[in-house]
Amino acid sequence: MINWGNFLLVALASIGFTVVVVSLFSLAMRLLTNARHALPAARKGKISAVRSEALNRVTSYLLFLICAFALVYGIYLIVPYFHI
Amino acid sequence: MDPILVVALVVSLALFFDFTNGFHDTANAMATPIATGALKPKVAVAIATTMNLVGAFLSTAVAKTISVDLINEGVNLGAEMVFAGLTGAIIWNLTTWFLGLPSSSSHALFGGLIGAAMAYAGVAAVNFPKVFEKVLIPALLAPLIAGIAAWLATRLAYLITARSQQQRKKTGIGTGRSNFKVGQVFSSSLVALSHGTNDAQKTMGVITLVLVTSGFQSNGDHVQLWVILSAALAIAIGTYSGGWRIIKTMGSGLAEIKPPQGFASETATGVTILASSNLGFALSTTQVASGAVMGAGLGRKGGQVRWSKAGQIVTGWFLTLPAAALVGAISAYITLLGPWGLLADAIITVAIIITIFQMSRRNRIGHHNVLSEVEGASEVIASPRQVRAAASKAEKAAKSVKKSEKKGKGRK
Repeated sequence: MINWGNFLLVALASIGFTVVVVSLFSLAMRLLTNARHALPAARKGKISAVRSEALNRVTSYLLFLICAFALVYGIYLIVPYFHI
Repeated sequence: MDPILVVALVVSLALFFDFTNGFHDTANAMATPIATGALKPKVAVAIATTMNLVGAFLSTAVAKTISVDLINEGVNLGAEMVFAGLTGAIIWNLTTWFLGLPSSSSHALFGGLIGAAMAYAGVAAVNFPKVFEKVLIPALLAPLIAGIAAWLATRLAYLITARSQQQRKKTGIGTGRSNFKVGQVFSSSLVALSHGTNDAQKTMGVITLVLVTSGFQSNGDHVQLWVILSAALAIAIGTYSGGWRIIKTMGSGLAEIKPPQGFASETATGVTILASSNLGFALSTTQVASGAVMGAGLGRKGGQVRWSKAGQIVTGWFLTLPAAALVGAISAYITLLGPWGLLADAIITVAIIITIFQMSRRNRIGHHNVLSEVEGASEVIASPRQVRAAASKAEKAAKSVKKSEKKGKGRK
């Protein structure tokens, strides 16, 4: 018999994980371009622009880091040596 | 015939199947990064090769547990039968490659073995409910899951990175969407690695099975080193030779893919495969990857999927098992004629393989023309600098043509 329970689990996990990872990566990308938008004003020494640039950039790097963790988790799942 | 000769024949055929498996499946991981220009074709194929080679050495867990549970217990999978099954799998794999259709190599292998089992032991040898459960239903569900995941992810990726035309004009800063190419390098490599840990194993499993049934190995609880080495090498060589026909289909024939879509589709493929192999609902990599490309194709505004091509591909999936079974059965009947039958079968198979390769040379698809089509598709997303570079390149080329024409006239 087809195990519909497992199927549902796989479907939800696949869709959920994909959406989360791609969204985080996209958000990181958006924040990075936000930082680029703020850069010219920040160079001129506008305090709020400096802050916005730094905040966007740092958050973006953090999000990229989370994506990197997702990648590492993927490798962990692939390599049986790590979890047997 | 000397049993060692039979085993040698089966092992070489199994390794050749491994080779076709490699170049058939390069597209699963590398079609989309090649299509968006995230990776140059040769670099992409080199990464896939490395990942497959590394993956083959990572574990032999799959090889040890290879069970052809589509065939009822009690049917002896002898060397001749495996031989016949492999011919079916190889011929179907090469046919679909020639047609540029991504199809599951494991289904071809199972199909070939089922056909051979039917020829040897009758229809009762096949466990049809299992075929339904493990082959037909997943073939419908795999592209559906991956497609929905990739579609949603693409929609979100575009939504999140969207910027108004005005804003872009004012600042001269784009959406940064071409940076998704960086992500693509990682997502596609992950797919290639997971492929490597699975697919070379199938060949190792088949070879070990034959070694055990013909008494060259006492039991199947370990895989011999030479088997691991040769299977890893065969799939790596296969991957490196590219399978450009299928890359073309998946990269540009099915849907036009841009970097965010490529990233979404590769992530969906990788995640779905990992989820399916870890949560106990096995899905075919090829079917997952094709579904993800379609989903990503539909996810972008104005994006289109070429449904006629998609229809061909899905038809191919449902034909894979019966077609490989048919060839496997015919091949099994020939081997039943005795030692000469086996030899004749081997010669016929080699002849068919050579014919398909010869036919494919008439309209060759290689890394060069895969790229040229891709360049056409990616024009829309090229930066102004790239456009200028391309224009000056074209101008130079035109000049050099004129020069050579003048030279030619002078000589006349």
